[in-house]
Amino acid sequence: MNSLADYFHTDWEAMTTSDWIGTILTVVIFLLMLGVYLYALRPKNRDSLESRKYIPLDNDELNNGENNGG
Amino acid sequence: MLEATLEQKYNYSVVRWFTIMSAVYLVVGALVGVYIASELAWPVLNFDSPYLSFGRLRPLHTNAVIFAFGGCILMGTAFYSVQRTCGVGLWSNKMAWFTFWGWNLIILSAVITLPLGITQAKEYAELEWPIDIAIAVVWLSYMFNFVMTIVHRKSSHIYVSNWFFLGMMVMITYLHVVNSLAIPVGLFKSYSIFAGVQDAMIQWWWGHNAVGFYLTAGFLGIMYYFVPKQAGKPVFSYRLSVIHFWALMFGYVWLGAHHLQYTALPDWTGSLGAAVSMAMIIPSWGGAVNGMMTLSGAWDKLRTDYTLRFLIMSLAFYAMSVFEGPVMSLKTVNALSHYTDWTIGHVHSGALGWVGMVGIGAIYHLITKTYHIEMWSTRLINTHFWTATIGTLVYIVAMWVSGIMQGLMWRAYDEYGTLAYTFAESVEAMHPYYAMRAVGGAIFLAGAVMMLVNVVMTILTANSQGSVEKARTAAATA
Repeated sequence: MNSLADYFHTDWEAMTTSDWIGTILTVVIFLLMLGVYLYALRPKNRDSLESRKYIPLDNDELNNGENNGG
Repeated sequence: MLEATLEQKYNYSVVRWFTIMSAVYLVVGALVGVYIASELAWPVLNFDSPYLSFGRLRPLHTNAVIFAFGGCILMGTAFYSVQRTCGVGLWSNKMAWFTFWGWNLIILSAVITLPLGITQAKEYAELEWPIDIAIAVVWLSYMFNFVMTIVHRKSSHIYVSNWFFLGMMVMITYLHVVNSLAIPVGLFKSYSIFAGVQDAMIQWWWGHNAVGFYLTAGFLGIMYYFVPKQAGKPVFSYRLSVIHFWALMFGYVWLGAHHLQYTALPDWTGSLGAAVSMAMIIPSWGGAVNGMMTLSGAWDKLRTDYTLRFLIMSLAFYAMSVFEGPVMSLKTVNALSHYTDWTIGHVHSGALGWVGMVGIGAIYHLITKTYHIEMWSTRLINTHFWTATIGTLVYIVAMWVSGIMQGLMWRAYDEYGTLAYTFAESVEAMHPYYAMRAVGGAIFLAGAVMMLVNVVMTILTANSQGSVEKARTAAATA
């Protein structure tokens, strides 16, 4: 391994259709994941997303956790 | 009155039975585990019987704890939490019962075939092709019912625990079907359609993702619903849970190759698996912190709520094992750790510490909520907590010491360049640690028995008081 260029060398001619499909799908899914990160971390979306965390507690007036081991 | 409304509105019956069976299977799976651990320490326990040999009982142990205990608690919790978070009953009660009976018959078939030596010899996918088809059908019924319940939900948003459950269901379907592709040559014999290193790669693509999606994503679904419910507080950060979910979905599928370092698999594949494994520490720790910080401002609950202790302790073991795993996947560490008992220790810190404890927490929560009664003995829950914690620690410490010692003995050379120890000498050196492992497992098993006794006594008390019937009747007259 002489250089970084050697390390990242790719024989593009040897790429099969399966190789290309896999590579493109992987990159697209990775970009979609980054898109979700940006959406989740955008300050504008904070309140609407954080309001969802009350869903498990909304329909239950029982005082969970208080009576089960005290 | 609220209990009555909930009993009437939702299908709790199938949840109750999945919960009971998971408590039963934990005892059965752990019992077989302790027995085979004892066989390794004291081989006389084989009794020269092929049906009791380690090679046949070990897959029975793994199938019992992963698919019987793990499967029942995953199905019970998913069916419970999807109803509660979507505000609707299950889409089909009949299909839910089909899933329950189908899954338990599959477990029964595993109990019969594995000791008879009927196996595909693929780790965590040992069952032969007719049972594999049955697994696919029953699993799809579970997923279809879950999805249709979400489709008919009354809430606009799909809560994050449902995303984790759904991610598991989709990926396990895909993984199970592909890894189980085989050519049958008889009713009880088949051969994988993959061969050589491709077969190994597909097997560990399945194997690690059984850990990643079934034992991690599915149980994180449990964590994201049951920790907030038991604590009575919302999850620390919902945004972090979203990132946790998508990072896990994207990352886990890459990791399988790290099980095949220094094999015929191309070198870069293992390196890629190890690199993504290291990257996965960040979202995994983010999720663990998210679960633990849910108790922020209410840590005092841990003093009195023993069920919550199980759930929070499970997150500590989760954080520990998702750090240890990536470290073990690095080639330099893997050269020492692979094929040794260190791997067994790592697996059990995840299995007993994370999967076991979060599942146990969910069992205690579900029994109280679905039987509308407190547990028979809170003191027994506390004793169970300490036996589970101490048993897990004794087990994994024994395997850490044993594994590292094995690795060092196997690679030791003398001044002439020959191996310093024979394999038999390394086996002999393991004996005290194998005995210690059996003791650790027995302590954990004792706790599981305590839970089963507690569950049975709670149900008997509920039956004598008619708590479920009262809830049903009150709802009908409400």
